[in-house]
Amino acid sequence: MRILAIAQNTFRESIRDKVLYVLLFFAAVTIFGSKALGWISIGQDIKIVKDIALSATSIFGILIAIFVGTSLIYKEIDKRTLYTILAQPMHRYEFILGKYLGLVALLAVVTVTMALVSSLYILMLGGTLQVTFFLAILLIYGKLLLITAFAVLMSSLTSPILGAIIVFSVAVFGHATEVFRDLPPQFEGTSAKAILEAVYYVVPNLSNFDLAQEAANGIEVSGAYVIWVMAYGLLYTVMLLILAALAFQEKDV
Amino acid sequence: MSAIVTKNLSKIYRELGKASVKSLDGLDLTIEKNEVYGFLGRNGAGKTTTIKLLCGLLKPTSGEATVFGESVRTPQARRLIGYLPEQPYFYEYLTPKETIDFYGKLQKLSPAERAHQWDKLSELLDLRDIANQRLKGFSKGMRQRIGFAVALVGNPPLLILDEPMSGLDPIGRRMIRDLIMRCRDEKKTIFFSSHVMSDVEQICDRVSIMVKGKLTHRGRIDQLLAQKTKAVEVIAVGLSEELRTALGGIAQSHRPLDEQDIFNFADEGEANDAVQRIQQGGGRIVQFSPIRESLEDFFLRQQEPTVEEVV
Repeated sequence: MRILAIAQNTFRESIRDKVLYVLLFFAAVTIFGSKALGWISIGQDIKIVKDIALSATSIFGILIAIFVGTSLIYKEIDKRTLYTILAQPMHRYEFILGKYLGLVALLAVVTVTMALVSSLYILMLGGTLQVTFFLAILLIYGKLLLITAFAVLMSSLTSPILGAIIVFSVAVFGHATEVFRDLPPQFEGTSAKAILEAVYYVVPNLSNFDLAQEAANGIEVSGAYVIWVMAYGLLYTVMLLILAALAFQEKDV
Repeated sequence: MSAIVTKNLSKIYRELGKASVKSLDGLDLTIEKNEVYGFLGRNGAGKTTTIKLLCGLLKPTSGEATVFGESVRTPQARRLIGYLPEQPYFYEYLTPKETIDFYGKLQKLSPAERAHQWDKLSELLDLRDIANQRLKGFSKGMRQRIGFAVALVGNPPLLILDEPMSGLDPIGRRMIRDLIMRCRDEKKTIFFSSHVMSDVEQICDRVSIMVKGKLTHRGRIDQLLAQKTKAVEVIAVGLSEELRTALGGIAQSHRPLDEQDIFNFADEGEANDAVQRIQQGGGRIVQFSPIRESLEDFFLRQQEPTVEEVV
């Protein structure tokens, strides 16, 4: 009940965040503007609209997770609302989990809204929607669950600005983890290679969650793949939340 | 079992790249049940640090603290504590009713219990008229009332209040004072920090004084103040001009009032000598009264720099 109470409150709080609406506005502009690119590439317009709609859902979802997520705990300390809450007979992990669930509930609303808007727009343009399009949306949400967990971890450790920079960097590199593995030959035998290889294994491979190409081209994706990627994401998410709870457990507020 | 026990409780703030700050240094404190205990000190004396340690918001660097035998690091201890921070802040988009309900949920109270808490607390703290207004824009006094109501959710036996009267107008202070007295009548233990001495003197059974993170004095107010007489006031009549001048030179102060002469002497020895001289000189003593220190005098004396500090 405590976790739910905190989650409900976080949802109510986050939905009032102005950053959310600014980002949603730009997401809508990007989705509706995608038709312009479709005109340039004749005969490809629906494909491009689908691709851009999914990319916009992913990028703006990530930005919301970062901007709202990294300030989530910090704001409570800064505004001193945390004092009376943590003085209640509750465990600190309940607070972290409640904050996390509140934000991912908000992201669920955001993702579903963007998916609905995109779907209606594609249908209006005379396109059709396959299952892969919705599976792509599902995996975007899986990715947001993971990034939000990382943002909450950073929020319990550092300031919103530094946290946002770190999470943003991980989100960018997470989409291109192979750069850490496929190093040029001059790295051979250096300690930098060992470190970058370690980074390759630690940073989640976020490109696994990207089905935009498949959805745009109507390529079928196996259910097993989707389950595997969701499980992969959830494993990272759980680990990050455990770390966030441990970091917050000993934190002086 | 005592309500609060701290043993060698210390807190050092360490921040990367900054000098560490010892905010609390080896605090040993015992507060009995059903006591109203004042915790005094200037800003930065370690009062809020102690309170935050007791409420589990800070981790002690060393030492331990318990409330009713439970370690303050456990949620069980926090079930027994109602905490009012200095300048309490709550979610601005909630109403007072929603706020009380939220804290009731955090205490796992049933919907019926939460409704009961609202009925009781809204009446006690006069929140009915503002029940459904958002907290945004509420005055300090209104926030303090809500903070007090939040501290009372779940009817905890111990209240820990950080500067509950700071920044309030006389009516607000009176209300908080009355609430503390009412809680004491309900057999609650109240531990509160303050630097408003008159309030402390009126409502506390015992006090502790903190100076720079260390506890310097503790005890019953009457016992602490009985230790020192600030001055002795002697009122006499029928003094010769010569004697008046002589005594005026010895006394801390002298002022004539109608036919009377009012002298203040630094201690009883000087006053007794003066009385003897007045009687020998044909004068008459109208009043001889030692002036005890007020808590404020006592408190201020503790803040004076020591010889080492001056050097």
